[in-house]
Amino acid sequence: MRDHSQAGRAARQREDRELLRRYHEGGDPRAREQLIARHLPLVRSLARRYAGRGEPLEDIEQVGSIGLIKAIDRFDIEREVSLATYATPNIVGEIKRHFRDKGWAIRVPRSLQELNAKMSGAIDDLTARLGHSPSVGEIAKSLGTTNEEVLEALEVGSAYTALSLDAGPAGSDDDSDPMETIGGEDAEFERSEDRATLSPALAQLPAREREILRMRFEEGLPQTQIAERVGLSQMHVSRLIRRSLTTMRAELDE
Amino acid sequence: MSAEQRGAVDRVEIDAPLDLAFQGVVRLVVGGIAEQANFGFEAMDDLQLAIERLLAETGSEGRVKISFEFGDGVVRTRIGPLREGRLAAALQETNGDTATLSLARILSAVVDSFGVEPATDGQIVVRLEKLGLPRP
Repeated sequence: MRDHSQAGRAARQREDRELLRRYHEGGDPRAREQLIARHLPLVRSLARRYAGRGEPLEDIEQVGSIGLIKAIDRFDIEREVSLATYATPNIVGEIKRHFRDKGWAIRVPRSLQELNAKMSGAIDDLTARLGHSPSVGEIAKSLGTTNEEVLEALEVGSAYTALSLDAGPAGSDDDSDPMETIGGEDAEFERSEDRATLSPALAQLPAREREILRMRFEEGLPQTQIAERVGLSQMHVSRLIRRSLTTMRAELDE
Repeated sequence: MSAEQRGAVDRVEIDAPLDLAFQGVVRLVVGGIAEQANFGFEAMDDLQLAIERLLAETGSEGRVKISFEFGDGVVRTRIGPLREGRLAAALQETNGDTATLSLARILSAVVDSFGVEPATDGQIVVRLEKLGLPRP
């Protein structure tokens, strides 16, 4: 059993190395995407260690995936080290830097951190239970707080819109991330020469964010349906949309 | 007491710097107004996004006036006067081309109607109307 596991790990490392070679020597973007997908469980595992500090786990995972992508991009294929070993300090470093840079624990009262962390689940639960998108008042009542605190806590979450979107997806808590299966239908979105549109910058976004934008602005799906399709909370879908549009505008302004 | 309970249309005006640092303030105001209009989370988020994207297209210098008229289930917003510049171009729908993600396309998805009015000195005022979903 142990031998089998070791053999499996060795085989996986060989596959990683082949993908890294295809990406670094051949410039194959699909190899990069595969590497990201293969190592997202590692990101999730590391992100869980930082859960419970007032920020949704899915956001920590998003930050951790930035570290993963940096590790993939910087990996020296001549080095005799596995990608997982090399990526781990990069992922952890990115998460720690995020907490430090954003000063979450310092600037935001703990009560708001905790309220923000509860909000995502509360909105989804209320939507399912009430059959409509809950009002701020309904959210406040379910969480035993005031309307003003709910608005403040929502705003706290919005403060993360400046996060880089170079990362791959944030996932759910499940090992299988439904979003990993999404993508590849967005080629049309990448064509535009019009300065007045945001489309050229779409190409800079990860495929999953592009897919969410396509569902929202081309299919016209509401956030609740997108959230169901991709297996994320409605609040997280909202944040991804906002961050993506902000990032795209910043790309065009550079 | 909400607008619904009062059965009246209320009005709020703000005059804010366009600087990014004030985006959060604007979002909070919009959130409070959406709650008064009995909006659900999603409708509130849509309206916040619409205003945020519009302001993002107007640049980060100067100030902007935003006025809200709201009653139960509806918020009408007027933003401006604004320099026409790239905002007018961004508000042009791109010949029905579904492949582009113009500001017009974004607004079409998140508000129920929008339009542009001419103001003085060649400036424009953008109007947005957002309806909350019918609630049981």
